[in-house]
Amino acid sequence: MTDRNAIIDLRDVHKHYGEFHALKGISMEIAEGEFFSLLGPSGCGKTTLLRSIAGFEDISSGALMLDGADMAGVPPNKRPTNMVFQSYAIFPHLTVGENVAFGLRRKTGLSKSDKARMVDEALEMVGLVGYGARAAHALSGGQRQRVALARALILKPRVLLLDEPLSALDKKLREQMQSELRRLQRQVGITFILVTHDQEEALIMSDRIAVMFEGRIAQLASPQDLYLRPKSRDVAEFIGVMNFFEGGFQTGAAGIEMTAQGLGAARITGDQIMGSGSGTSCAVGIRPESLSILFEGETTSERIAEGVVDDLAYYGDMTYYEVRLDGMDHPLTISMKNRAGRPVLERGVRTRVAWDPRSLVVFS
Amino acid sequence: MFSFWTQDFLSLDTTPTLNNYREFLAEPLYQELLRRSLIIAGSVTVVTVLLAFPIAYYVSFYVRPERKSLWLFLITIPFWTSYLIRVFLWRVILGFDGVVNTALMNLGLINEPLTFILYNPNAVVITLAHAFAPFAILPIFVALERIDRSLLEASRDLGENAFNTFRRVTLPLAMPGVVASVLIVFIPTIGDYVTPRLVGGPEGLMIANMIQTQFLRLNNAPLGAALAVIAMLSVTLISLAFIWLTRKYLRAR
Repeated sequence: MTDRNAIIDLRDVHKHYGEFHALKGISMEIAEGEFFSLLGPSGCGKTTLLRSIAGFEDISSGALMLDGADMAGVPPNKRPTNMVFQSYAIFPHLTVGENVAFGLRRKTGLSKSDKARMVDEALEMVGLVGYGARAAHALSGGQRQRVALARALILKPRVLLLDEPLSALDKKLREQMQSELRRLQRQVGITFILVTHDQEEALIMSDRIAVMFEGRIAQLASPQDLYLRPKSRDVAEFIGVMNFFEGGFQTGAAGIEMTAQGLGAARITGDQIMGSGSGTSCAVGIRPESLSILFEGETTSERIAEGVVDDLAYYGDMTYYEVRLDGMDHPLTISMKNRAGRPVLERGVRTRVAWDPRSLVVFS
Repeated sequence: MFSFWTQDFLSLDTTPTLNNYREFLAEPLYQELLRRSLIIAGSVTVVTVLLAFPIAYYVSFYVRPERKSLWLFLITIPFWTSYLIRVFLWRVILGFDGVVNTALMNLGLINEPLTFILYNPNAVVITLAHAFAPFAILPIFVALERIDRSLLEASRDLGENAFNTFRRVTLPLAMPGVVASVLIVFIPTIGDYVTPRLVGGPEGLMIANMIQTQFLRLNNAPLGAALAVIAMLSVTLISLAFIWLTRKYLRAR
């Protein structure tokens, strides 16, 4: 990150809509060539931030630097950014080729044949060879998406902005487009900024993710750090599933001793503690895949707790168990890979649960 | 049917004949009237649509959504009074000692009343444009409302300024509404005879006045019918040509 130039530099950006404070002091840098995601629930300000970068919204205070230049007062048509809209915004009165060529009219020094060749290349890049003469309004959702991409990328922007581009597609197509977008981004080397509310999508695609809640950045980190070391309970709950226990910790001469209701005591390291609060009444978190059910005859070197299967959901490749540990009033979610020789437990059965202190996170 | 017959005082001769159409071709007055009607209707259409477009654009793009129905409601207020009363009001406004002339004279801008604003084709154009404005505004408004605003943002994002965005995106997408407005204004104005009679003066009379005269005064229903058929055909031809031209223009882009 530090070895690359910052293409976007936000300094204490605020945005007010009358009484509503949409962005509450956003400061961050986005590096050149990065695949960056803005992730958050609806209304968290992520789209406002994206639209501010594109120039469709004026920021109320702070500075927005794009490629080293202050963007205050610069209209969208003068910014080195292009956008893929959530609705794709394909011009219905034009053909696919005319849509893709729309922005080329402003580029001087290009002959007609240059432009035609660029359109063909752009369509090839998104896998729509031969679609140039088709009417845009007759395309499917996935094809519109590709046209919108080609239309933006043909202008070779410094930054491509994507506003929930995949949310309107069905699951299969969405997964296909995710890997295709990733491939495209590596191929063209342009900075992509993706706005999404789908945490899985953000994890799959991004180099870095900014999680936003209520107009603030809650955490800015790589997908792995975000998942394994969420800075707050809110982030942990938003990214994937996490089980929580009431607990606390004490720092002694031998290290940090953590206790959690239902699990017992264990030694942890300092980087597992998030926040700077005291060690009394903390939330202790663990991911479902870091817990495992010990089947008949299996042994483990990990710590063991006991409980009863409350409920389960069979997904084919995985089974999700709801297990209530002894002495706890709410069940834990545990995900188990289904393997040969591993039975699917029934409701009400007593079982042992193995856990590793290293996978705990403590929110103080 | 009437147009192929002959009328002799009170009796109808139902032998088919093209004499009525021959008379139209032989008599320059009728052709002159038709030409004048087309020119007046064309001017009314142009004036009305040119005025209606900005109003529709303003209501669609600049009026807050919750206020739009109020605006549309206000636009329809002229319909609350009879059309005849509205025409008479224009006589009051445009007349020799009417509102406009009195005001301009009192302001010292003119020394004697303007006479080119009443009892001539200009008055007909002004009156009809006012009468048909709501009919022209509504289809354009609907077409503008249907434009996805993100298309306009996309155009800005792709490097076009506001004016070119209007030219390349808004206008082509609003064209169906404009075409509808043009036809809605043009077709009925050709056949209007009340307005020319009341504010048109001798210079502002149109083909419909002649048709009325043929039917009711000259007792020559067949000739009147023939003129009506000719007027109708002209309107149809011009409308079709107009639709064809706009289609071609839109397709070429």
